[in-house]
Amino acid sequence: MTWWSTLFAVSPLVVVALGALLLMLAEALGRPAPAADGAVVTDVGSGRAGELGIGSAVVLFAGGVFALSLWMVGPEALPGAEGLAPYFIVDRFSAFFGVMLCLGGGLSALLGGGYLDEHGIDRSEFFPLLLWATLGAMALAGAGDLLTLFVALETMSIGVYAMVGLRRNGRAIEAALKYFLLGGFAGALTLFGAALLYGATGHTDLAGIGASVGTIGQPGSTVPAGLVLVAMALVVSGLLFKVAAVPFHMWTPDAYEGAPTPATTFMAVAVKCAAFAILLRVLFGAFADERVASWGTGWPPVLAVLAVATMTVGNLIAGRQESVKRMLAYSSIAHAGYALLGVVAAMRSGMGQASVLFYLLAYTVSTVGAFGALILCGRRGAEAVSYEDLAGIGRRHPVVALAFSLFLVSLAGIPATAGFFGKLGVFLAAIDAELYVLAVVGLLNSFLGAYYYLRVLVYMYMREPSPNAPRAVPMRSGQVGVAIAVAALLVVWWGLFPLSIGADVTAAGSAPMAR
Amino acid sequence: MIVFGDAAEHFVLVAAALFTIGAVGFLVRRNVLVQLMSIELMLNAANLALVSYNRLHATEMTGHVFAFFVIAVAAAEASVGLAIALTFYRLRSSVYSDEADTLRH
Repeated sequence: MTWWSTLFAVSPLVVVALGALLLMLAEALGRPAPAADGAVVTDVGSGRAGELGIGSAVVLFAGGVFALSLWMVGPEALPGAEGLAPYFIVDRFSAFFGVMLCLGGGLSALLGGGYLDEHGIDRSEFFPLLLWATLGAMALAGAGDLLTLFVALETMSIGVYAMVGLRRNGRAIEAALKYFLLGGFAGALTLFGAALLYGATGHTDLAGIGASVGTIGQPGSTVPAGLVLVAMALVVSGLLFKVAAVPFHMWTPDAYEGAPTPATTFMAVAVKCAAFAILLRVLFGAFADERVASWGTGWPPVLAVLAVATMTVGNLIAGRQESVKRMLAYSSIAHAGYALLGVVAAMRSGMGQASVLFYLLAYTVSTVGAFGALILCGRRGAEAVSYEDLAGIGRRHPVVALAFSLFLVSLAGIPATAGFFGKLGVFLAAIDAELYVLAVVGLLNSFLGAYYYLRVLVYMYMREPSPNAPRAVPMRSGQVGVAIAVAALLVVWWGLFPLSIGADVTAAGSAPMAR
Repeated sequence: MIVFGDAAEHFVLVAAALFTIGAVGFLVRRNVLVQLMSIELMLNAANLALVSYNRLHATEMTGHVFAFFVIAVAAAEASVGLAIALTFYRLRSSVYSDEADTLRH
């Protein structure tokens, strides 16, 4: 019966893959036929995006349920799961990310259904692409081998390139072009680093690489230290591109702004979380030896500098944006900085990895909600983009404004929201690792960040639109509403009862990163 | 140089040179198609490194298998990239990434 439990171990991925195949069929067969008598079809494809959006959300939530049941059973108890290592590691870490990525992807799919219908974009290939990209992200979170790492990374990225260029207008294609070129470059860096690692150590699995790196400097070791260092730098910089850390963040604002908002949501949520998952796996699976992972030598001081630069640059530039979508893009850069702080702290603190996981979870629900609320504030032909577009919405559409405020408050890290405990966890981990300066810098940065989040609230509640400006009229969409409601519920729940998942996060964060 | 071993050394040096040419080409040139070719060159440099390193670790065929996966992924990536470049050309009548400048403040 081993094959049965092996199948169960990969069931989240299998469910999403089968669902994606079915959805591709449904999408192809469901295309409206051209009118036979030459009559003009006026209502081509209306409502199709909505149905496919619900379909893909159902598939992704089903994948999430399977990941959750895998978590309940306990991946350690499955006899067949070991056989998949190192190509796919079934542990609490990958099950946790399975749930998180399915949640983020499913909510993005709901947003996509509402958004594409409202804006009359008849491009329902969006949903199969989203499912395949989520599959790549889930595989990435479980990758314990450089081969799986590269294939999963590209599966995720290629889908997202196409999602960004969904609308064939100048801005979207420009965003897709920039994202594709820099993403491809980053992928090539990672791959060449992987090839060098293979050459230096003779292993492509992270555990084997870790063991070889551990022998550096001992008598009889044949592992060349310089080559490993170059390879590590290449692999890690490729991954830092994906999490949008400074100085690899240049593509982020353009890609986020030009992409259709549901694709932006997916990029901000699933791509970033999966990239952090594999970053943790690589750093603590292959480069956890104290020769490369101590404060004196190795990656922690470099990553610490990058974390500080990332949050500071993200926050400073976000405050100067006139477009809310672009502001959220810079804010996602800043959030990558806070999460990197947790990664650095995990070097010495046992709670570091758990703090990163909780941070990503809180970030996922808050970001989905914020982009969802932004979608809801706009109408066909009148997307809400700038701060001015949001003026006065607090009085005219109080529910939308309230939801938007909740998510922004959570992103800013104000108490009684999930985002507060996310930041608190990361800072406590930094203090636990005796990185006091980093904790203080992070704290100062979150004050800086509060400024531009609260500025949106000021516009929504205290400003009136200028008399001749077009008034923002929120669209009506049950799907977007449901996605926002789920996100809001989770933000409040984890904000009031963070300890309700504290033990789970700790269990996921303390799994060994490679085997 | 003990780093690369006897047999593989020269091949890996070629791979490193190809990778550098690709990376520099990507950063210096502004023609989207040339940039795409540069990325392909970098991927192929990695392939060459993988295959030649396999001579050092000859007990298993990991490097060769890895190279096949890379070829498949590179093909998929090139097709999406060309589609994006083509659409960009249709909209702008240009293949220069300098002209992708509407998303700026």
